[in-house]
Amino acid sequence: MSSLIQVLAKYRSLLLNGTEITLIISVITIVFGMIFGSLMALMKMCRIPPLRWFADVYVAFIRGTPVLVQIFLIFYGLPIMGIHIPAIVVGGNDISRIVSGSIALVINSTAYICEIVRAGIQSIDRGQREAAQALGMSDTRVLWAIILPQAMRNIIPALGNEFITVIKTSSQVSVIGIAELMYTANTIRGISFKPIEPLVIVALIYFLITFVVSLILSAVERRMRRSVR
Amino acid sequence: MDKPVISIRGLRKSYGTVSVLKGIDLEIRKGEVVVIIGPSGSGKSTILRCMNAMEDMTDGDIFYEGQSLREMKKYADLRMHVGMVFQHFNLFPHMTVLENIMYAPVKVRKEPKAEVYERSIQLLRKVGLEEKKDVYPAMLSGGQQQRIAIARALCMKPDVMLFDEPTSALDPEMVGEVLEVMKNLAQSGMTMVIVTHEMRFAAEVADRVIFIDEGVILAEGTPDQILIHPENPRIRTFLKNKL
Ligand SMILES: Nc1ncnc2c1ncn2[C@@H]1O[C@H](COP(=O)(O)OP(=O)(O)OP(=O)(O)O)[C@@H](O)[C@H]1O
Ligand SMILES: [Mg+2]
Repeated sequence: MSSLIQVLAKYRSLLLNGTEITLIISVITIVFGMIFGSLMALMKMCRIPPLRWFADVYVAFIRGTPVLVQIFLIFYGLPIMGIHIPAIVVGGNDISRIVSGSIALVINSTAYICEIVRAGIQSIDRGQREAAQALGMSDTRVLWAIILPQAMRNIIPALGNEFITVIKTSSQVSVIGIAELMYTANTIRGISFKPIEPLVIVALIYFLITFVVSLILSAVERRMRRSVR
Repeated sequence: MDKPVISIRGLRKSYGTVSVLKGIDLEIRKGEVVVIIGPSGSGKSTILRCMNAMEDMTDGDIFYEGQSLREMKKYADLRMHVGMVFQHFNLFPHMTVLENIMYAPVKVRKEPKAEVYERSIQLLRKVGLEEKKDVYPAMLSGGQQQRIAIARALCMKPDVMLFDEPTSALDPEMVGEVLEVMKNLAQSGMTMVIVTHEMRFAAEVADRVIFIDEGVILAEGTPDQILIHPENPRIRTFLKNKL
């Protein structure tokens, strides 16, 4: 116990920095994952076959390959494709690596969020769309005013799970040298010659983050259930 | 009874290779109450759904006030004139009763909110549910939900109302209250097309009864001709099974 506190005290700023990077990457992933995931879900359900095919292939491929492979593919693949992210270093963190890692995670979670949103929308009874159309509503209005508000209720629990998965999955970008929590744990293990303590500490930090997130989510769920029947 | 509001001419509808409607000709005149009866799967719902363009036609055409549905680019206008009530009510569960009723007139047709509110309250009074205006549909019985669904459709001030088995999903003790609302509506002169299995009700409200079987109109006439003294053996068997 005392050695835990020792490590915690000594490497406080490293750990704080790692936590910050983990949070930043997770938030980026969730925000963009939700935007692209929703768009992808609409593509999957749209009337234009090529868009649908693209979304199908995309989701199948991303869900069928390990996230670790995706992270490396983006990290080494972007420069090969001629996309160079300038290596800007801010406060000891290489921004280009964070961008590359975030892109990989967004690409990954887009596929999962797409499926969540699609399932949520398709769980709404067909009669809802028909009743709305019969009142003269346009397709866009039907989607935004009738389908999506109801779908949200089904989507939120699954989306919450995905948020928590994203936070945990972000540890994988340590392999491309992003100084997030997992990477920080390894760094501390190397310099302190203490193999276990840093791992226990980051495990606790991960748990703390996901626990708080799940508390917030269940509060949101409760509120949704109260206002929407 | 004067000029037709809706004319259906040679309407055919197939799903893939399955032919569901095989040449329907039907006119609905202003103020008329037309009841469509027929066995399950005969195409009753499909006819109704073609009338407000919820299904596209395979062949033939439908004219609303002389306008061809095939030539319409958007169906919003048509649907504002042709209200529809469904078997499963389809109230919006995330909106209160009042929001359900007011949404389309206010947001789609952009009518002044105060005006729509007045009208909604009147309609709620008409269907006997004024005190339920602020509750969510889940709090209502099936019969109450269907009455709200009727009020919602009426609030668009439609010229024609389509009913697709409005009481089929209801517990028997709630059927009466919905039929009562429909009877009043019929008496007020609304043009109505009703698909129903309630033969007694049909005999009471219908100006004309259509019997459809396997996608064709087998017979049409007054309730007396079709329901009370039917000549066609198919109709006799059908009616016998209903009782
Ligand atoms: N989307 C669809 N795809 C394929 N077949 C369909 C579709 N909708 C309806 N059908 C078929 O068309 C036929 C007529 O259907 P319709 O719903 O019009 O019958 P109905 O007379 O309303 O029957 P019910 O009394 O059971 O409501 C049925 O055989 C049905 O299976
Ligand atoms: Mg039907």
